[in-house]
Amino acid sequence: MTNPVKTNPVTLEVVRNALVAYANEMATVLVRTAYNMMIFEVHDYCTGIVDVEGNIISQNTGGLPIFLADLGAAVVGAVEIYGKDGFAPGDVLVSNDPVLCGQHLNNIVVFTPCFHEGELMAFLASRAHWVDVGSGSSGFGSTSSQSIFDEGIQLRAIKIYSAGNRNEEAFRIIKDNIRYPDSSLGDLRAQIAGCKLGERRLGDMFAKYGKATVLDCVTAMWDQAEALARARIRAIPNGVYEAESYLDNDYVERDKIIPIKVRVIVEDDEMTVDFSDLPPQVKGPINSGPSGGIACARVAYKCLVAPHTGATQGEFRPLKVNLPPGKLLSAIRPAPIGGWSLSMPTVIDTILLALAPALPDHVPAGHKGDMSGYAMMGQDKSRGRPYICLNIFGGGWGGQKDHDGISAAVSICQGNVHNGPVEVQEAYYPIIVDNHEFLQDSCGSGRNRGGLGIEITIRSEDDAYLNTQFQRTVMPPWGILGGTEAKPNEIFIEGLNGERRQGAAVTRHLIKPGERVVMRTGGGGGYGNPLEREIERVASDVRGGYISVQRARDDYKVVVDDKGVVDDAATKALRAGA
Amino acid sequence: MGARVAVDIGGTFTDLVALFDDGRIAYTKALTTYDDLARGVLDCVNKANVNLPDFEFFIHGTTIAINTVIQRKGAKTGLLTTKGFRDVYEIGRSNRPDAYNLAYQRPVPLIPRELRYGITGRLASTGKVREQLDENEVRTAVRELKAVGVKSIAVVFLHCYANPEHEERAGQIIAEEYPECFVSLSHNILREFREYERTSTTVLNAYIAPIVSDYVIGLDKALRDAAFPGNFMIMQSNGGTMSASTARDLPVAMMESGPVAGVIGSGSLGQALGMPNVISFDMGGTTAKSSLVADGEVRVVTGYFIGGYETGHPMLLPVVDIVEVGTGGGSIAWLDEAGGLKVGPISAGSDPGPVCYNNGGTSPTVTDANLILGRLDPKNFLGGEMTLALDKAVAAMRDKIATPLKMTVEEAALGVIKIADAKMSLTVREVSVAKGHDPRDFALVASGGAGPLHAASIARELSIPKVIVPELPGTFSAFGMLFADVRHDYVQTNIRPMKGLDLNEVNAVFKRMGEEAVATLEREGVPKRLSLMTRTVDLRYRGQEYTLSVNVPAGEFDAAMLVKLRASFEELHYARYQHAAPEEEVEIVNLRMSSAGRFSEQDAMSFKRITQGGVSDGGKPRTRRVVFEDGAVECQVFQRGSVAPGQIIEGPAVIEELVSTTIVPPGDRATIHECGAIIIDIRS
Repeated sequence: MTNPVKTNPVTLEVVRNALVAYANEMATVLVRTAYNMMIFEVHDYCTGIVDVEGNIISQNTGGLPIFLADLGAAVVGAVEIYGKDGFAPGDVLVSNDPVLCGQHLNNIVVFTPCFHEGELMAFLASRAHWVDVGSGSSGFGSTSSQSIFDEGIQLRAIKIYSAGNRNEEAFRIIKDNIRYPDSSLGDLRAQIAGCKLGERRLGDMFAKYGKATVLDCVTAMWDQAEALARARIRAIPNGVYEAESYLDNDYVERDKIIPIKVRVIVEDDEMTVDFSDLPPQVKGPINSGPSGGIACARVAYKCLVAPHTGATQGEFRPLKVNLPPGKLLSAIRPAPIGGWSLSMPTVIDTILLALAPALPDHVPAGHKGDMSGYAMMGQDKSRGRPYICLNIFGGGWGGQKDHDGISAAVSICQGNVHNGPVEVQEAYYPIIVDNHEFLQDSCGSGRNRGGLGIEITIRSEDDAYLNTQFQRTVMPPWGILGGTEAKPNEIFIEGLNGERRQGAAVTRHLIKPGERVVMRTGGGGGYGNPLEREIERVASDVRGGYISVQRARDDYKVVVDDKGVVDDAATKALRAGA
Repeated sequence: MGARVAVDIGGTFTDLVALFDDGRIAYTKALTTYDDLARGVLDCVNKANVNLPDFEFFIHGTTIAINTVIQRKGAKTGLLTTKGFRDVYEIGRSNRPDAYNLAYQRPVPLIPRELRYGITGRLASTGKVREQLDENEVRTAVRELKAVGVKSIAVVFLHCYANPEHEERAGQIIAEEYPECFVSLSHNILREFREYERTSTTVLNAYIAPIVSDYVIGLDKALRDAAFPGNFMIMQSNGGTMSASTARDLPVAMMESGPVAGVIGSGSLGQALGMPNVISFDMGGTTAKSSLVADGEVRVVTGYFIGGYETGHPMLLPVVDIVEVGTGGGSIAWLDEAGGLKVGPISAGSDPGPVCYNNGGTSPTVTDANLILGRLDPKNFLGGEMTLALDKAVAAMRDKIATPLKMTVEEAALGVIKIADAKMSLTVREVSVAKGHDPRDFALVASGGAGPLHAASIARELSIPKVIVPELPGTFSAFGMLFADVRHDYVQTNIRPMKGLDLNEVNAVFKRMGEEAVATLEREGVPKRLSLMTRTVDLRYRGQEYTLSVNVPAGEFDAAMLVKLRASFEELHYARYQHAAPEEEVEIVNLRMSSAGRFSEQDAMSFKRITQGGVSDGGKPRTRRVVFEDGAVECQVFQRGSVAPGQIIEGPAVIEELVSTTIVPPGDRATIHECGAIIIDIRS
């Protein structure tokens, strides 16, 4: 065991716990006072403390995984513009700079500087998904966008408060360029309040321990996180690991699938995720800036290397990301990036798949590989105002060594994101949800089967408009080690005469009264040979209706009735023939 | 007020505290008897020489409800729910709170899928019937559930919080088809929206009802056999009590009785000492818990997760707002692979326990650190019942922590204590500073075996000026139960803009709740003069989701009332979140009422001093070497049985008693209060 730390280990642990607590407290203020479902219900945000170079000191626990340690990009951009001497107490900045942040413009970063004895020490930052930032779409990006200029207002490190003075012009520009200013300016207030709170807490910490001690602790935190990560990587066999998969299309060129090829190189205590075989940036909006590629690599890396520690800069030092410019995940301005996160569940899953041979005990079979959500909007006649309802929901996760995949869970990108309760949606908006239930046989079969996807059906008694951005309606979630693949996503709109039209990727698509939007999410792939699954577990799955009698017979060679009663003799005979 | 006796069943011990008519208190402890909990209760009664016929109240806290869930030993239970939503209970909220853990698992449903039935029939959010209930489907489902041996049925239909008609009808059909079956209708448990959380709460109730009911009936019979003539009350998570018969219908309300009672006790003690602002701090073997009582009022929040946030079952009934951290006497100090010093959350528990228990433990714990620093006496632990192995504690601390970190053993032990204290301080901060309360306005009430060891240091960290160590800190939950009022909570989700609010509608809802509350209290034998109703409304700015609960002043809802509520809301929003938006529209989300039967209007000051028995030093304190952050000092060691009211003890000092030890650090000063409590003034 090595001890790279010179700092007093006691002070270090005290400071570390406090820094995470501050970030969490910032998040609490944001969630509790936010004005949009993407924040309070879906938890599409993160909060953190960032040093002047843009390194993450601490981040809230439970935010969106793909926001891992990347709040710093916005800070770096601001420091480039204003210089390190260009900030004053009372400044509040907003940024959704597509070049540096690389995310859809809905993700607004608010940050404030923290001073100690007149010296700039750090920034408190918060990113949250605003419900609208102008553009041809609402809720999230348009499927037809072909340039960043189709996607809304761009804010690059704008000081909306300068030394405590409100910049009325900036506020007016923002207000006049978004559709739901009450909601978004409310979110802005909540974000500012969170940052201000963090500023006070961090200021108190500097006052109590002094600059040198706090900065020493931060350095030590990073060094320790790095050392821990290196130890874990050393346990992975060296090698070059590859995998591939594909996405449906970019929504603009709808006849072209998008291949995803990744390579992971493990060498001693370092890991490289090589994206050089990713396709070039695409015409449609599913590109991201380089931070998107980095986020994918980091999420996969963290799941394998440091799943239980708080996010901090140091743990990513042993990770190299090879991402040449101009790729799907490193698109160059003015590429459209409105659907910046849509490829990520699949890309991350593909990185994990590459490492499955090296870590068969840790890597699950493929999951639904999609962000799965919808936005329904229209005029709420009973309340006399426009509405927009956003929701995110789950699908199946892959089976793994010790248990079945979980059912109806959000993607690997979404962590603590919650689905929107049916009673909340129906109480707030003029929409009706007809069902929210498991989809039998949507899972892949295996010694440990995948989790189930779900079916959600929605409609409205008035004209309504639908936005969706699904992927993975073609390539199924994969099985591993002999497990079978699951059903992919299937989304359609059922017309008045029962006819179906595609609903996986639509923008402001009219849904007439009586028409129904049916969303079926993919299941998870199976893990291991299905014939190794205990017969009683197969019977139990049939009893619960998770799988059908037919599936039990076809994939597991178990003859069972719909009450879950096994016909032992017939099963034996079937297996003898298999 | 009449004599009462409280019995609290905990994981290891069953505690009894009795309050006699003349203010005397008796207490005792016995091992919890898992095979027959009621026997343990009566053992305690006998051991304490409590003559049940003399008592008017028997107040009981028990872990049976929560253990039935955690050990999954409930009844075979079925669920009737709205067609198309049979899986809501298993889908939950689809979240994966342990985001990077690829092996994350959900809570396993307490009702398997084949016992969950979707029933045709649908309500709108307004309560309007969109589709009639299919009674035949209900009947068929009940027959099938009966046939497979289900003992309890939960019924949860979408939007029934707004209109209970379908659930009521289903309940009647169950009664016709299967009258001996336990039935839990969601609208009887809570009328609040969010289908998953309401389903989970109702299912929890249904799942434990048969077991809890048997237990309550058994104990009631045992009490009556012992000629107990009074009221048998059960402690609830909301900080109040309910009659044993109500508990049989609403067992889900009694999940967290023990820790909650400690908070109630802290509040009562604070009131009695003229300090209505207190923060309770209860530290045991594996966790520390904290809660805030402002102006005598216990903070109650809606809901928590049974079994922890990440994999637990949501329970939406009101519960005293307790924040918990995995730091206790048994918390293990360890080094991670990078040499970082950590304390907890893994605990040595009671088996093997800390290294110094000499019971096979090899990992140094917080208790070992306290022993090494001289804060615990190896020869006077549990009143001398147990000798602590100092040498083993030192060796473990040296080998596991001090040597790798190049520290002395005492430095390492101090470090372990400091980290533990800092973590617990964050918890105390979470209930105070983080919610807009200034700790300087509060006193910290320390309880649990380990609380008084650490309280002064935590108080100093947060600038809390006073620490109160009550008598019997180790049986403080049972003590607190003596002071719990009867309490019931009612809620009605009713989302309306405040502007243009239909005042008649609101008044009608409150009227209905009031009638229900009065009827329940009457049934429980609460005299009208002791009944107290309080109303709150949950408010928010339009567009927000989370609400703040604002107290409703007396009187009917009228225009002036709305103005007052709005002003209180702005003030509270600002205090809690440091911003407000007075120009925006405000919405009402829930109407709430809580009813109290105030049995406990008792001045705790009138207590005679409790004779703790146990060790006394005849008023001649010994001394021993104790290590504090600024170095080692020879410290006076007092026995609590020998300190006298009015006595002043200057720190550094140690005050020992049977199950706990109080540390008075250098510079602080302890005063023994008339009622026996130790009050420590913390130097700033």
